[in-house]
Amino acid sequence: MIEVQNLSKRYGRVTAVDDISFKVERGEILGFLGPNGAGKTTTMRILTGYMPATEGKAIVAGFDVFEQPIEAKRRTGYLPETPPLYPDTSVVDYLGFVARIKGVPAAERTQRIQQVMERTRITDVANRLCGKLSKGYRQRVGLAQAIIHNPDVLILDEPTAGLDPKQIIETRELIKELAGTHTIILSTHILPEVSQTCQRVVIINKGHVVAVDTPDNLTARLRGSETMYVQVDTSGADASAALSRLPGVTRVLEAERKDHYISYEIDSERGRDVRRDLARTIVSSGWGLLELRPMRMSLEDIFLSLTTDETQTPAAAGDAPPPETVATATDGAES
Amino acid sequence: MRNILAIAQKEIKAYFAGPIAYITLGVWALMYGWFFNALLQFFVRQSMQMNQFGMQGPQAMNVNQQMIRPLLQNVTVLILFVMPGITMRTYSEEKRSGTIELLLTSPLTDFEIIMGKFIGALTLYGVMLAVTLIHIGVLFVYGRPEWKPIVTAYVGMLLMGGCFISVGLFISSLTKNQIAAFMLTFGTFLLLWVITWIGSFAGPTIDKLTQYLSIVDHLDDFSKGVIDTTHVIYYLSFMTFGLFLTAKAVDSERWRG
Repeated sequence: MIEVQNLSKRYGRVTAVDDISFKVERGEILGFLGPNGAGKTTTMRILTGYMPATEGKAIVAGFDVFEQPIEAKRRTGYLPETPPLYPDTSVVDYLGFVARIKGVPAAERTQRIQQVMERTRITDVANRLCGKLSKGYRQRVGLAQAIIHNPDVLILDEPTAGLDPKQIIETRELIKELAGTHTIILSTHILPEVSQTCQRVVIINKGHVVAVDTPDNLTARLRGSETMYVQVDTSGADASAALSRLPGVTRVLEAERKDHYISYEIDSERGRDVRRDLARTIVSSGWGLLELRPMRMSLEDIFLSLTTDETQTPAAAGDAPPPETVATATDGAES
Repeated sequence: MRNILAIAQKEIKAYFAGPIAYITLGVWALMYGWFFNALLQFFVRQSMQMNQFGMQGPQAMNVNQQMIRPLLQNVTVLILFVMPGITMRTYSEEKRSGTIELLLTSPLTDFEIIMGKFIGALTLYGVMLAVTLIHIGVLFVYGRPEWKPIVTAYVGMLLMGGCFISVGLFISSLTKNQIAAFMLTFGTFLLLWVITWIGSFAGPTIDKLTQYLSIVDHLDDFSKGVIDTTHVIYYLSFMTFGLFLTAKAVDSERWRG
């Protein structure tokens, strides 16, 4: 549905986007993740035909955005970072105008506007002026404007920025609903958003694509070994010796000690589940097992590890070093 | 064409939804009324003096020559002042508020957007001219002016206004700041008006050149009741050039980002 090949954009001497390539399949939600100034907005602006790329090719809904911009734009809905509203226009009039310039046939317009307003829950502000709306409503009118011509592709630049928690959840639900019939790219610098809404993630930093994968795979890839978190009540005794003797356990680290409660982080060989053995050993030693859970590397950790150290490629990170060292490794294998 | 109309309608709505149309029309009507009143008083006094000398009937003063023509010439100066207020927002405001992103990512060509904005501004200017017809109507009630030179004068004013609008659009497309757009446009208009002033001292060639460049000078024949194709072509090519520059400015902005 969307194909980006070796896309670059330079503003004078500044390179905003440098040779990025990725693909999005029909019906997929792709998360575009990166710190501020990473080149997310630039890439989206190129995809929507707002500006041309310096080099490379972008195909949206089967049309090259440089060769056949009108055809590509007809099939694209775009919500820019600030919703493009005319402050002196009422919401209904505004949507009417957008429907007109996006080529919605006159006969379907009224019905289409009604549908879109219901879908984005803005029917109650239909006759208010866009300039008088709260941030949350503006964002939703922006979203309504993007889907009014029922486009194949939706490009949303930080759709949840500035919303309150309830609105964020509603917007995410809406985006997920839309995913079946539309192909969506959304950008964000909020990580949980990606793991909650997106099927695939493109992590971009300083104009480069650092990683493309599913959120789950990214997590797995960066986890060099399995890590368990165990909290036990040993009445003061040290359990680390007993635990490190277990088969498959590679390292036991005492994380925290509070009175009798001791927490350990236990690394084990990849693909080997040591939870049963851990539980049995602890219980048979007469200690109290308070907590036992696998530690997952959060997207935050992944994000940091990928964006703070540029020389650390994901492939290298996936091979050996345990997660704690990935973020700080300066002597990465391939640097 | 459908798209041009959609943009033009949006522009007209925007003028009348905000204060711009009302302020422009108000100032315009007030100033025009003032000009009209002053010239009318002058004309009435003169014709009364003529009457005392016993010149009546066929020798009576010509309303077209003595009243309407100087009135419309004065009004062109007024247009210089009012027009930048109409055109300053066309692109600047869209750039500042980010709505330009909506237009440029919609299935519209640059030409359609520019023409839509041009027609929108021209319509507001048309409304301004329509207001002045009230005063002209008063002259028809009390006198017998020729209607044909009035029609040609209005055709000329419409063409001249189109030139101003095309320049205004171009300048507005260069900046996000409406005040900057206003000042630059106003300066350019003023320069196009006074450009002939140096002509008479600078030798015959430059005199001719500056006269040709002056937008206002080309209106003279129209207000005499003459439609000269030279002037029509001048105005039309001036407009085309202004709109062409606008298109290039919008396009280059896109490349520069």
